[in-house]
Amino acid sequence: MQTAIIAQGISKSFKTGFFQPRKQVLHDVDLEVASGAIFGILGPNGAGKTTFISILATLLRPDAGQARVLGLDVVRDAGRLRKRVNLAASGAHFLWCLTVEENLKFYGRLYGLGGKALSAKVGELLDLFELQPHRRVTFERLSTGLKQRLALAKALINTPELLFLDEPTSGLDPEMAGHIREEILRLNQETGLTILLTTHNLREAELLCGEVAFLKEGRLLARGTMADLQERLGLGDHLSLFFQDGVPALDYARLPGILVHKIENNRVDLKVDRAEERLAPILAAVSQARGRVVRVQLKEVDLTEIYHEITH
Amino acid sequence: MRLPTDFNKILAFAARSALVNRRNIFAVFEMLFWPAIGIFSVGLLTRFLNLDAETVTFILIGAVSMNTIQIAQLDLSYALLYSVWAKSLKHEFMAPVRLTHILVGAGAVGLVRGLLVFVVMGFFSMWLFNMDLSRPGAGGLLIFLTGMFLNAAVIGASVLALVLRFGQRAEVAAWAFSYLMLLLCGLYYPVSVLPAWIGKLAQIIPLTYFLEYYRHFYGFSLNYPHPLLYGFSLSVVYLCVCYALVHYTLKSALHRGTLLRLSE
Repeated sequence: MQTAIIAQGISKSFKTGFFQPRKQVLHDVDLEVASGAIFGILGPNGAGKTTFISILATLLRPDAGQARVLGLDVVRDAGRLRKRVNLAASGAHFLWCLTVEENLKFYGRLYGLGGKALSAKVGELLDLFELQPHRRVTFERLSTGLKQRLALAKALINTPELLFLDEPTSGLDPEMAGHIREEILRLNQETGLTILLTTHNLREAELLCGEVAFLKEGRLLARGTMADLQERLGLGDHLSLFFQDGVPALDYARLPGILVHKIENNRVDLKVDRAEERLAPILAAVSQARGRVVRVQLKEVDLTEIYHEITH
Repeated sequence: MRLPTDFNKILAFAARSALVNRRNIFAVFEMLFWPAIGIFSVGLLTRFLNLDAETVTFILIGAVSMNTIQIAQLDLSYALLYSVWAKSLKHEFMAPVRLTHILVGAGAVGLVRGLLVFVVMGFFSMWLFNMDLSRPGAGGLLIFLTGMFLNAAVIGASVLALVLRFGQRAEVAAWAFSYLMLLLCGLYYPVSVLPAWIGKLAQIIPLTYFLEYYRHFYGFSLNYPHPLLYGFSLSVVYLCVCYALVHYTLKSALHRGTLLRLSE
Protein backbone atom coordinates (compact mmCIF):
# COMPACT_ATOMS: atom_id res chain seq x y z
CA MET A 1 0.00 0.00 0.00
CA GLN A 2 1.40 3.39 -0.97
CA THR A 3 0.95 6.19 1.51
CA ALA A 4 -0.19 9.61 0.33
CA ILE A 5 -0.12 11.35 3.70
CA ILE A 6 2.01 10.67 6.76
CA ALA A 7 1.59 13.08 9.69
CA GLN A 8 3.46 12.54 12.91
CA GLY A 9 3.03 14.43 16.15
CA ILE A 10 1.38 17.48 14.61
CA SER A 11 0.65 20.17 17.18
CA LYS A 12 -0.60 23.69 16.65
CA SER A 13 -1.58 26.54 18.90
CA PHE A 14 -2.76 30.07 18.22
CA LYS A 15 -2.46 33.34 20.07
CA THR A 16 -5.80 34.47 21.41
CA GLY A 17 -4.81 38.03 22.23
CA PHE A 18 -2.27 40.14 24.06
CA PHE A 19 -1.34 38.68 27.43
CA GLN A 20 -3.66 35.73 26.79
CA PRO A 21 -2.50 32.12 26.90
CA ARG A 22 -2.12 30.39 23.55
CA LYS A 23 -4.95 28.10 22.57
CA GLN A 24 -3.82 24.58 21.75
CA VAL A 25 -5.80 23.50 18.69
CA LEU A 26 -4.00 20.26 17.76
CA HIS A 27 -2.26 17.89 20.16
CA ASP A 28 0.28 15.48 18.76
CA VAL A 29 -1.84 14.18 15.87
CA ASP A 30 -0.63 11.18 13.85
CA LEU A 31 -2.29 10.08 10.65
CA GLU A 32 -1.61 7.97 7.58
CA VAL A 33 -3.71 7.99 4.46
CA ALA A 34 -3.31 5.49 1.65
CA SER A 35 -2.96 6.61 -1.95
CA GLY A 36 -6.21 6.51 -3.87
CA ALA A 37 -8.37 6.53 -0.73
CA ILE A 38 -11.15 8.83 0.31
CA PHE A 39 -10.35 9.51 3.94
CA GLY A 40 -12.69 11.42 6.22
CA ILE A 41 -11.77 13.51 9.23
CA LEU A 42 -14.78 13.85 11.49
CA GLY A 43 -15.35 15.87 14.58
CA PRO A 44 -17.49 18.55 16.17
CA ASN A 45 -16.98 22.28 15.60
CA GLY A 46 -13.67 23.48 16.95
CA ALA A 47 -12.18 19.97 16.87
CA GLY A 48 -9.24 21.17 14.77
CA LYS A 49 -10.27 19.60 11.45
CA THR A 50 -9.69 22.70 9.33
CA THR A 51 -6.44 23.49 11.13
CA PHE A 52 -5.17 19.98 10.46
CA ILE A 53 -6.17 19.96 6.79
CA SER A 54 -4.66 23.46 6.37
CA ILE A 55 -1.31 22.26 7.70
CA LEU A 56 -1.33 19.39 5.22
CA ALA A 57 -2.35 21.82 2.46
CA THR A 58 0.70 24.07 3.25
CA LEU A 59 -1.47 27.00 4.34
CA LEU A 60 -0.39 26.78 7.94
CA ARG A 61 2.82 25.72 9.64
CA PRO A 62 2.74 23.31 12.56
CA ASP A 63 4.38 24.22 15.89
CA ALA A 64 5.66 20.68 16.22
CA GLY A 65 5.63 17.45 14.28
CA GLN A 66 6.22 16.55 10.68
CA ALA A 67 3.96 15.84 7.78
CA ARG A 68 4.75 14.47 4.35
CA VAL A 69 2.20 14.63 1.57
CA LEU A 70 2.94 12.74 -1.66
CA GLY A 71 6.41 12.19 -0.25
CA LEU A 72 7.09 15.93 0.21
CA ASP A 73 7.55 17.76 3.48
CA VAL A 74 4.68 20.24 3.95
CA VAL A 75 7.02 22.96 5.25
CA ARG A 76 10.31 22.47 3.43
CA ASP A 77 8.86 21.37 0.07
CA ALA A 78 5.70 23.49 0.18
CA GLY A 79 6.35 25.07 -3.22
CA ARG A 80 6.76 21.72 -5.00
CA LEU A 81 3.84 20.19 -3.14
CA ARG A 82 1.44 22.98 -4.08
CA LYS A 83 1.80 22.04 -7.76
CA ARG A 84 0.44 18.57 -7.01
CA VAL A 85 -2.43 19.20 -4.61
CA ASN A 86 -5.46 21.45 -4.42
CA LEU A 87 -8.22 22.47 -2.07
CA ALA A 88 -11.94 23.14 -2.13
CA ALA A 89 -13.65 24.47 0.95
CA SER A 90 -17.19 25.09 2.07
CA GLY A 91 -18.69 28.48 1.34
CA ALA A 92 -16.87 28.92 -1.96
CA HIS A 93 -15.31 32.36 -2.21
CA PHE A 94 -13.88 33.81 -5.39
CA LEU A 95 -13.54 37.27 -6.86
CA TRP A 96 -17.08 38.53 -7.20
CA CYS A 97 -16.76 40.47 -10.44
CA LEU A 98 -15.00 37.77 -12.46
CA THR A 99 -17.07 35.30 -14.47
CA VAL A 100 -16.94 31.54 -13.93
CA GLU A 101 -14.60 31.19 -16.89
CA GLU A 102 -12.37 34.09 -15.84
CA ASN A 103 -12.04 32.72 -12.32
CA LEU A 104 -11.01 29.32 -13.66
CA LYS A 105 -8.54 30.95 -16.03
CA PHE A 106 -7.09 33.01 -13.20
CA TYR A 107 -6.41 29.92 -11.10
CA GLY A 108 -5.23 27.97 -14.14
CA ARG A 109 -2.61 30.64 -14.78
CA LEU A 110 -1.55 30.55 -11.14
CA TYR A 111 -0.62 26.92 -11.75
CA GLY A 112 1.37 27.94 -14.82
CA LEU A 113 -1.16 27.00 -17.48
CA GLY A 114 -1.50 29.21 -20.51
CA GLY A 115 -2.61 29.36 -24.11
CA LYS A 116 -4.38 26.34 -25.57
CA ALA A 117 -3.63 24.12 -22.59
CA LEU A 118 -5.44 26.57 -20.30
CA SER A 119 -8.42 26.95 -22.62
CA ALA A 120 -8.70 23.18 -23.01
CA LYS A 121 -8.53 22.56 -19.24
CA VAL A 122 -11.07 25.27 -18.47
CA GLY A 123 -13.40 23.92 -21.19
CA GLU A 124 -13.06 20.39 -19.80
CA LEU A 125 -13.93 21.52 -16.27
CA LEU A 126 -16.85 23.65 -17.44
CA ASP A 127 -18.24 20.54 -19.15
CA LEU A 128 -17.48 18.23 -16.25
CA PHE A 129 -19.30 20.37 -13.70
CA GLU A 130 -22.03 21.46 -16.11
CA LEU A 131 -20.92 25.06 -15.83
CA GLN A 132 -20.87 25.78 -19.59
CA PRO A 133 -24.21 27.64 -19.55
CA HIS A 134 -22.93 29.83 -16.71
CA ARG A 135 -19.44 30.48 -18.03
CA ARG A 136 -20.09 34.19 -18.58
CA VAL A 137 -21.94 34.73 -15.30
CA THR A 138 -20.05 36.66 -12.63
CA PHE A 139 -19.37 34.83 -9.38
CA GLU A 140 -21.61 37.12 -7.31
CA ARG A 141 -24.62 36.13 -9.44
CA LEU A 142 -24.19 32.37 -9.06
CA SER A 143 -26.39 30.25 -6.81
CA THR A 144 -24.77 28.56 -3.81
CA GLY A 145 -24.75 25.22 -5.61
CA LEU A 146 -23.07 26.64 -8.70
CA LYS A 147 -20.49 28.40 -6.52
CA GLN A 148 -19.65 25.09 -4.89
CA ARG A 149 -19.38 23.40 -8.28
CA LEU A 150 -17.01 26.16 -9.36
CA ALA A 151 -14.98 25.56 -6.18
CA LEU A 152 -14.61 21.89 -7.11
CA ALA A 153 -13.78 22.77 -10.71
CA LYS A 154 -11.09 25.18 -9.48
CA ALA A 155 -9.71 22.46 -7.23
CA LEU A 156 -9.11 20.26 -10.27
CA ILE A 157 -7.55 22.96 -12.46
CA ASN A 158 -4.02 21.61 -11.92
CA THR A 159 -5.07 17.95 -12.22
CA PRO A 160 -4.02 17.31 -8.61
CA GLU A 161 -2.89 13.96 -7.27
CA LEU A 162 -4.44 14.74 -3.91
CA LEU A 163 -7.44 16.84 -3.12
CA PHE A 164 -8.31 18.45 0.22
CA LEU A 165 -12.02 18.99 0.70
CA ASP A 166 -12.98 21.03 3.73
CA GLU A 167 -16.70 20.49 4.37
CA PRO A 168 -17.43 20.28 0.64
CA THR A 169 -21.23 20.10 0.91
CA SER A 170 -21.78 22.36 3.89
CA GLY A 171 -24.64 24.79 3.30
CA LEU A 172 -25.93 23.03 0.18
CA ASP A 173 -29.45 21.71 -0.28
CA PRO A 174 -29.71 17.89 -0.13
CA GLU A 175 -30.05 17.50 -3.89
CA MET A 176 -26.98 19.58 -4.67
CA ALA A 177 -25.05 17.94 -1.86
CA GLY A 178 -25.92 14.58 -3.42
CA HIS A 179 -24.61 15.72 -6.82
CA ILE A 180 -21.38 16.93 -5.31
CA ARG A 181 -20.91 13.63 -3.45
CA GLU A 182 -21.50 11.66 -6.65
CA GLU A 183 -18.92 13.83 -8.34
CA ILE A 184 -16.39 13.22 -5.58
CA LEU A 185 -16.93 9.45 -5.76
CA ARG A 186 -16.72 9.45 -9.53
CA LEU A 187 -13.46 11.42 -9.48
CA ASN A 188 -11.95 9.01 -6.99
CA GLN A 189 -13.09 5.92 -8.87
CA GLU A 190 -12.19 7.11 -12.35
CA THR A 191 -8.91 8.88 -11.67
CA GLY A 192 -7.66 7.27 -8.46
CA LEU A 193 -7.43 10.74 -6.92
CA THR A 194 -6.64 10.63 -3.19
CA ILE A 195 -9.13 12.72 -1.25
CA LEU A 196 -8.89 13.92 2.33
CA LEU A 197 -12.14 15.44 3.45
CA THR A 198 -13.44 16.96 6.63
CA THR A 199 -17.11 16.83 7.36
CA HIS A 200 -19.71 17.16 10.08
CA ASN A 201 -22.03 15.06 8.03
CA LEU A 202 -21.73 11.47 9.17
CA ARG A 203 -23.96 10.16 6.41
CA GLU A 204 -21.64 11.82 3.92
CA ALA A 205 -18.63 10.17 5.52
CA GLU A 206 -20.39 6.80 5.37
CA LEU A 207 -21.18 7.25 1.71
CA LEU A 208 -17.79 8.51 0.64
CA CYS A 209 -15.04 7.41 2.98
CA GLY A 210 -13.32 4.07 3.10
CA GLU A 211 -11.67 5.12 6.32
CA VAL A 212 -12.32 7.82 8.89
CA ALA A 213 -10.58 9.47 11.82
CA PHE A 214 -12.23 11.26 14.72
CA LEU A 215 -10.84 14.49 16.09
CA LYS A 216 -12.06 16.08 19.27
CA GLU A 217 -10.48 19.08 20.99
CA GLY A 218 -7.44 18.67 18.80
CA ARG A 219 -6.81 15.03 19.65
CA LEU A 220 -7.17 12.09 17.33
CA LEU A 221 -9.47 9.73 19.21
CA ALA A 222 -9.74 6.86 16.75
CA ARG A 223 -9.28 5.94 13.12
CA GLY A 224 -10.12 3.04 10.88
CA THR A 225 -12.71 1.55 8.59
CA MET A 226 -16.29 1.30 9.78
CA ALA A 227 -15.80 -2.42 10.46
CA ASP A 228 -12.55 -1.78 12.39
CA LEU A 229 -14.14 0.88 14.55
CA GLN A 230 -17.25 -1.19 15.15
CA GLU A 231 -15.15 -4.10 16.31
CA ARG A 232 -12.80 -1.99 18.40
CA LEU A 233 -15.63 -0.20 20.16
CA GLY A 234 -17.65 -3.34 20.63
CA LEU A 235 -20.56 -1.81 18.81
CA GLY A 236 -23.06 -4.16 17.28
CA ASP A 237 -25.84 -4.15 14.76
CA HIS A 238 -29.34 -4.11 16.20
CA LEU A 239 -31.47 -7.15 15.47
CA SER A 240 -35.04 -7.39 16.78
CA LEU A 241 -37.07 -10.58 16.46
CA PHE A 242 -40.85 -10.36 16.92
CA PHE A 243 -42.68 -13.63 17.88
CA GLN A 244 -46.29 -14.62 17.47
CA ASP A 245 -46.75 -16.79 20.59
CA GLY A 246 -44.26 -15.44 23.04
CA VAL A 247 -40.50 -15.59 23.15
CA PRO A 248 -39.13 -19.14 23.03
CA ALA A 249 -36.97 -20.33 25.94
CA LEU A 250 -33.43 -20.11 24.69
CA ASP A 251 -30.07 -19.06 26.11
CA TYR A 252 -29.64 -16.08 23.79
CA ALA A 253 -26.34 -15.05 25.30
CA ARG A 254 -24.77 -18.27 24.02
CA LEU A 255 -25.85 -17.76 20.42
CA PRO A 256 -22.95 -16.90 18.08
CA GLY A 257 -21.96 -13.22 17.87
CA ILE A 258 -24.41 -11.97 20.49
CA LEU A 259 -23.08 -8.99 22.45
CA VAL A 260 -26.20 -7.99 24.38
CA HIS A 261 -29.75 -9.29 24.54
CA LYS A 262 -33.02 -8.11 26.03
CA ILE A 263 -36.40 -9.87 26.16
CA GLU A 264 -39.57 -7.80 26.18
CA ASN A 265 -43.10 -9.21 25.69
CA ASN A 266 -43.11 -10.87 22.29
CA ARG A 267 -39.80 -9.38 21.23
CA VAL A 268 -36.12 -10.09 21.64
CA ASP A 269 -33.65 -7.27 21.02
CA LEU A 270 -30.20 -8.51 20.17
CA LYS A 271 -26.99 -6.66 19.57
CA VAL A 272 -24.78 -8.76 17.30
CA ASP A 273 -21.28 -8.21 15.98
CA ARG A 274 -22.14 -8.78 12.29
CA ALA A 275 -25.85 -9.05 11.63
CA GLU A 276 -25.66 -10.24 8.04
CA GLU A 277 -23.44 -13.17 9.01
CA ARG A 278 -25.26 -14.07 12.21
CA LEU A 279 -28.88 -13.77 11.11
CA ALA A 280 -29.23 -17.24 9.57
CA PRO A 281 -27.81 -19.25 12.53
CA ILE A 282 -29.87 -17.18 15.00
CA LEU A 283 -33.09 -17.84 13.07
CA ALA A 284 -32.20 -21.53 12.86
CA ALA A 285 -31.68 -21.70 16.65
CA VAL A 286 -34.96 -19.90 17.31
CA SER A 287 -36.79 -22.21 14.95
CA GLN A 288 -35.36 -25.26 16.73
CA ALA A 289 -36.69 -23.85 19.99
CA ARG A 290 -40.13 -23.70 18.31
CA GLY A 291 -40.26 -19.94 18.16
CA ARG A 292 -42.53 -18.50 15.42
CA VAL A 293 -40.86 -15.36 14.13
CA VAL A 294 -43.34 -12.97 12.49
CA ARG A 295 -41.01 -10.06 11.82
CA VAL A 296 -37.28 -9.35 11.78
CA GLN A 297 -35.98 -5.83 12.16
CA LEU A 298 -32.35 -5.09 11.41
CA LYS A 299 -30.49 -1.86 11.93
CA GLU A 300 -26.83 -1.91 11.13
CA VAL A 301 -24.51 0.14 13.28
CA ASP A 302 -23.91 3.50 11.66
CA LEU A 303 -21.33 6.20 11.94
CA THR A 304 -23.58 8.27 14.18
CA GLU A 305 -23.38 5.57 16.80
CA ILE A 306 -19.63 5.23 16.39
CA TYR A 307 -19.22 9.00 16.53
CA HIS A 308 -21.33 9.20 19.67
CA GLU A 309 -19.41 6.40 21.29
CA ILE A 310 -16.06 8.00 20.53
CA THR A 311 -16.74 11.64 21.17
CA HIS A 312 -18.83 11.36 24.34
CA MET B 1 12.95 29.65 -13.44
CA ARG B 2 10.62 28.31 -16.13
CA LEU B 3 9.78 31.36 -18.17
CA PRO B 4 6.43 30.44 -19.78
CA THR B 5 5.11 29.13 -16.45
CA ASP B 6 6.26 32.22 -14.58
CA PHE B 7 4.89 34.45 -17.29
CA ASN B 8 1.46 32.82 -16.93
CA LYS B 9 1.52 33.35 -13.16
CA ILE B 10 2.41 37.02 -13.63
CA LEU B 11 -0.26 37.29 -16.31
CA ALA B 12 -2.82 35.87 -13.85
CA PHE B 13 -2.41 38.82 -11.48
CA ALA B 14 -2.13 41.35 -14.31
CA ALA B 15 -5.26 40.06 -16.05
CA ARG B 16 -7.20 39.99 -12.79
CA SER B 17 -6.27 43.58 -11.97
CA ALA B 18 -7.14 44.70 -15.48
CA LEU B 19 -10.52 42.94 -15.38
CA VAL B 20 -11.43 44.35 -11.98
CA ASN B 21 -10.54 47.85 -13.18
CA ARG B 22 -12.55 47.40 -16.35
CA ARG B 23 -15.64 46.24 -14.46
CA ASN B 24 -15.42 48.86 -11.75
CA ILE B 25 -16.93 52.24 -12.54
CA PHE B 26 -15.04 53.72 -9.60
CA ALA B 27 -11.78 52.83 -11.31
CA VAL B 28 -12.73 55.38 -13.99
CA PHE B 29 -13.29 57.92 -11.24
CA GLU B 30 -9.91 57.02 -9.73
CA MET B 31 -8.15 57.41 -13.05
CA LEU B 32 -9.88 60.38 -14.61
CA PHE B 33 -12.34 62.21 -12.41
CA TRP B 34 -10.30 62.82 -9.27
CA PRO B 35 -7.02 63.55 -11.11
CA ALA B 36 -8.88 65.97 -13.39
CA ILE B 37 -10.43 67.71 -10.38
CA GLY B 38 -6.95 67.96 -8.86
CA ILE B 39 -5.36 69.43 -11.98
CA PHE B 40 -8.19 71.90 -12.62
CA SER B 41 -8.36 73.17 -9.05
CA VAL B 42 -4.58 73.61 -8.78
CA GLY B 43 -4.34 75.05 -12.30
CA LEU B 44 -7.12 77.55 -11.66
CA LEU B 45 -5.52 78.56 -8.37
CA THR B 46 -2.24 79.35 -10.19
CA ARG B 47 -4.21 81.43 -12.67
CA PHE B 48 -5.95 83.32 -9.86
CA LEU B 49 -2.59 84.01 -8.19
CA ASN B 50 -1.25 85.20 -11.54
CA LEU B 51 1.97 83.20 -11.21
CA ASP B 52 4.75 83.17 -13.78
CA ALA B 53 5.03 80.27 -16.23
CA GLU B 54 7.90 78.52 -14.39
CA THR B 55 6.11 78.58 -11.04
CA VAL B 56 2.90 77.30 -12.67
CA THR B 57 4.90 74.44 -14.17
CA PHE B 58 6.56 73.77 -10.82
CA ILE B 59 3.18 73.39 -9.12
CA LEU B 60 1.50 71.47 -11.93
CA ILE B 61 4.38 68.96 -12.07
CA GLY B 62 3.54 68.27 -8.43
CA ALA B 63 -0.16 67.84 -9.18
CA VAL B 64 0.47 65.50 -12.14
CA SER B 65 3.01 63.50 -10.13
CA MET B 66 0.67 63.10 -7.20
CA ASN B 67 -2.12 61.68 -9.32
CA THR B 68 0.23 59.45 -11.27
CA ILE B 69 1.82 57.90 -8.18
CA GLN B 70 -1.50 57.59 -6.40
CA ILE B 71 -2.99 55.54 -9.25
CA ALA B 72 0.15 53.57 -10.05
CA GLN B 73 0.47 52.26 -6.48
CA LEU B 74 -3.17 51.27 -6.17
CA ASP B 75 -3.03 48.10 -8.26
CA LEU B 76 -0.13 46.79 -6.25
CA SER B 77 -1.75 47.77 -2.97
CA TYR B 78 -5.01 46.14 -4.04
CA ALA B 79 -3.40 42.95 -5.38
CA LEU B 80 -4.00 41.13 -2.11
CA LEU B 81 -6.88 43.31 -0.96
CA TYR B 82 -8.97 41.92 -3.84
CA SER B 83 -8.32 38.46 -2.44
CA VAL B 84 -9.08 39.59 1.10
CA TRP B 85 -12.36 41.19 0.01
CA ALA B 86 -13.25 38.07 -1.98
CA LYS B 87 -12.12 35.83 0.94
CA SER B 88 -10.12 33.81 -1.55
CA LEU B 89 -6.65 34.51 -0.16
CA LYS B 90 -5.98 30.90 0.81
CA HIS B 91 -6.71 29.71 -2.72
CA GLU B 92 -4.18 32.15 -4.16
CA PHE B 93 -1.48 31.03 -1.73
CA MET B 94 -2.45 27.38 -2.15
CA ALA B 95 -1.15 27.76 -5.71
CA PRO B 96 2.60 27.62 -6.38
CA VAL B 97 3.02 31.39 -6.73
CA ARG B 98 5.80 33.61 -5.45
CA LEU B 99 5.69 37.20 -4.32
CA THR B 100 7.47 38.24 -7.49
CA HIS B 101 4.52 37.03 -9.56
CA ILE B 102 2.13 39.20 -7.54
CA LEU B 103 4.41 42.24 -7.49
CA VAL B 104 5.24 42.16 -11.19
CA GLY B 105 1.74 41.20 -12.39
CA ALA B 106 -0.24 43.76 -10.41
CA GLY B 107 2.57 46.31 -10.68
CA ALA B 108 2.47 46.14 -14.49
CA VAL B 109 -1.20 47.14 -14.53
CA GLY B 110 -0.43 49.94 -12.08
CA LEU B 111 2.32 51.14 -14.37
CA VAL B 112 -0.02 51.23 -17.39
CA ARG B 113 -2.76 53.02 -15.43
CA GLY B 114 -0.27 55.46 -13.94
CA LEU B 115 1.16 56.18 -17.37
CA LEU B 116 -2.31 56.82 -18.72
CA VAL B 117 -3.05 59.27 -15.90
CA PHE B 118 0.27 61.02 -16.54
CA VAL B 119 -0.46 61.38 -20.26
CA VAL B 120 -4.05 62.58 -19.78
CA MET B 121 -3.26 64.98 -16.92
CA GLY B 122 -0.14 66.19 -18.67
CA PHE B 123 -2.20 66.89 -21.77
CA PHE B 124 -4.79 68.86 -19.75
CA SER B 125 -2.02 70.83 -18.03
CA MET B 126 -0.36 71.73 -21.31
CA TRP B 127 -3.62 72.50 -23.09
CA LEU B 128 -5.36 74.52 -20.39
CA PHE B 129 -2.54 75.98 -18.33
CA ASN B 130 0.32 76.25 -20.81
CA MET B 131 2.54 73.92 -18.85
CA ASP B 132 5.58 72.79 -20.83
CA LEU B 133 6.17 69.14 -19.95
CA SER B 134 8.64 68.49 -22.75
CA ARG B 135 11.49 70.80 -21.72
CA PRO B 136 13.56 68.06 -19.99
CA GLY B 137 13.43 66.04 -23.22
CA ALA B 138 12.54 62.37 -23.67
CA GLY B 139 15.45 61.18 -21.51
CA GLY B 140 14.59 63.47 -18.60
CA LEU B 141 10.93 62.54 -18.83
CA LEU B 142 11.73 58.83 -18.89
CA ILE B 143 13.98 59.11 -15.84
CA PHE B 144 11.34 61.09 -13.97
CA LEU B 145 8.62 58.56 -14.83
CA THR B 146 10.87 55.68 -13.75
CA GLY B 147 11.49 57.42 -10.45
CA MET B 148 7.77 57.97 -9.88
CA PHE B 149 6.92 54.35 -10.63
CA LEU B 150 9.66 53.12 -8.31
CA ASN B 151 8.12 55.25 -5.56
CA ALA B 152 4.69 53.86 -6.37
CA ALA B 153 6.13 50.33 -6.14
CA VAL B 154 7.59 51.07 -2.71
CA ILE B 155 4.21 52.31 -1.44
CA GLY B 156 2.35 49.38 -3.01
CA ALA B 157 4.74 46.79 -1.56
CA SER B 158 4.49 48.35 1.91
CA VAL B 159 0.71 48.13 1.75
CA LEU B 160 0.98 44.45 0.68
CA ALA B 161 2.95 43.73 3.83
CA LEU B 162 0.34 45.54 5.93
CA VAL B 163 -2.49 43.61 4.26
CA LEU B 164 -0.80 40.31 5.07
CA ARG B 165 -0.43 41.41 8.67
CA PHE B 166 -3.64 43.33 9.36
CA GLY B 167 -6.00 42.30 6.55
CA GLN B 168 -8.75 44.61 5.41
CA ARG B 169 -7.88 47.21 8.05
CA ALA B 170 -4.80 48.01 5.96
CA GLU B 171 -6.96 49.39 3.15
CA VAL B 172 -6.71 52.91 4.47
CA ALA B 173 -2.92 52.66 4.23
CA ALA B 174 -3.17 52.33 0.45
CA TRP B 175 -4.19 55.98 0.29
CA ALA B 176 -2.63 57.35 3.46
CA PHE B 177 0.94 56.28 2.65
CA SER B 178 1.08 58.08 -0.64
CA TYR B 179 -0.51 61.28 0.69
CA LEU B 180 1.95 61.39 3.56
CA MET B 181 4.89 60.82 1.25
CA LEU B 182 3.64 63.44 -1.18
CA LEU B 183 3.22 65.97 1.60
CA LEU B 184 6.81 65.54 2.73
CA CYS B 185 8.57 65.45 -0.62
CA GLY B 186 7.78 69.02 -1.64
CA LEU B 187 4.99 68.41 -4.07
CA TYR B 188 3.70 71.97 -4.47
CA TYR B 189 6.66 73.78 -2.89
CA PRO B 190 10.44 73.52 -2.72
CA VAL B 191 11.57 71.39 0.23
CA SER B 192 13.59 74.41 1.42
CA VAL B 193 10.32 75.94 2.73
CA LEU B 194 9.69 72.96 5.01
CA PRO B 195 10.59 73.25 8.69
CA ALA B 196 14.08 71.88 9.26
CA TRP B 197 13.01 68.58 10.86
CA ILE B 198 10.48 67.87 8.12
CA GLY B 199 13.18 68.71 5.61
CA LYS B 200 15.20 65.86 7.13
CA LEU B 201 12.30 63.51 6.49
CA ALA B 202 12.06 64.77 2.92
CA GLN B 203 15.66 63.69 2.40
CA ILE B 204 14.80 60.06 2.96
CA ILE B 205 12.02 60.08 0.37
CA PRO B 206 13.25 59.22 -3.14
CA LEU B 207 10.52 61.24 -4.84
CA THR B 208 12.02 64.42 -3.37
CA TYR B 209 15.10 63.89 -5.55
CA PHE B 210 13.18 62.97 -8.69
CA LEU B 211 11.01 66.09 -8.38
CA GLU B 212 14.15 68.16 -7.86
CA TYR B 213 15.77 66.59 -10.90
CA TYR B 214 12.76 67.24 -13.14
CA ARG B 215 12.20 70.75 -11.92
CA HIS B 216 15.78 71.81 -12.40
CA PHE B 217 15.14 71.79 -16.15
CA TYR B 218 12.77 74.70 -15.51
CA GLY B 219 15.42 76.81 -13.84
CA PHE B 220 14.87 75.83 -10.22
CA SER B 221 18.06 75.29 -8.30
CA LEU B 222 18.96 71.91 -6.83
CA ASN B 223 18.75 71.66 -3.04
CA TYR B 224 20.65 68.39 -3.08
CA PRO B 225 23.61 67.37 -5.22
CA HIS B 226 23.35 64.21 -7.38
CA PRO B 227 19.57 63.86 -7.09
CA LEU B 228 19.40 60.83 -9.39
CA LEU B 229 22.05 58.94 -7.46
CA TYR B 230 20.19 59.51 -4.19
CA GLY B 231 16.76 58.96 -5.74
CA PHE B 232 17.57 55.64 -7.40
CA SER B 233 19.72 54.37 -4.53
CA LEU B 234 17.00 55.04 -1.98
CA SER B 235 14.35 53.51 -4.25
CA VAL B 236 16.35 50.31 -4.68
CA VAL B 237 17.05 50.08 -0.94
CA TYR B 238 13.38 50.64 -0.08
CA LEU B 239 12.23 48.12 -2.68
CA CYS B 240 14.56 45.49 -1.23
CA VAL B 241 13.40 46.31 2.31
CA CYS B 242 9.74 46.16 1.26
CA TYR B 243 10.26 42.86 -0.55
CA ALA B 244 11.89 41.40 2.55
CA LEU B 245 9.06 42.79 4.67
CA VAL B 246 6.35 41.24 2.48
CA HIS B 247 8.29 37.96 2.47
CA TYR B 248 8.55 38.04 6.26
CA THR B 249 4.87 38.88 6.79
CA LEU B 250 3.87 36.03 4.49
CA LYS B 251 6.02 33.62 6.46
CA SER B 252 4.58 34.97 9.66
CA ALA B 253 1.04 34.64 8.22
CA LEU B 254 1.70 30.93 7.65
CA HIS B 255 2.52 30.56 11.34
CA ARG B 256 -0.22 32.79 12.71
CA GLY B 257 -3.01 31.42 10.50
CA THR B 258 -3.62 34.85 8.97
CA LEU B 259 -4.23 33.41 5.49
CA LEU B 260 -7.03 31.26 6.87
CA ARG B 261 -8.51 34.02 9.01
CA LEU B 262 -8.56 36.40 6.07
CA SER B 263 -10.35 33.76 3.97
CA GLU B 264 -13.28 33.33 6.38
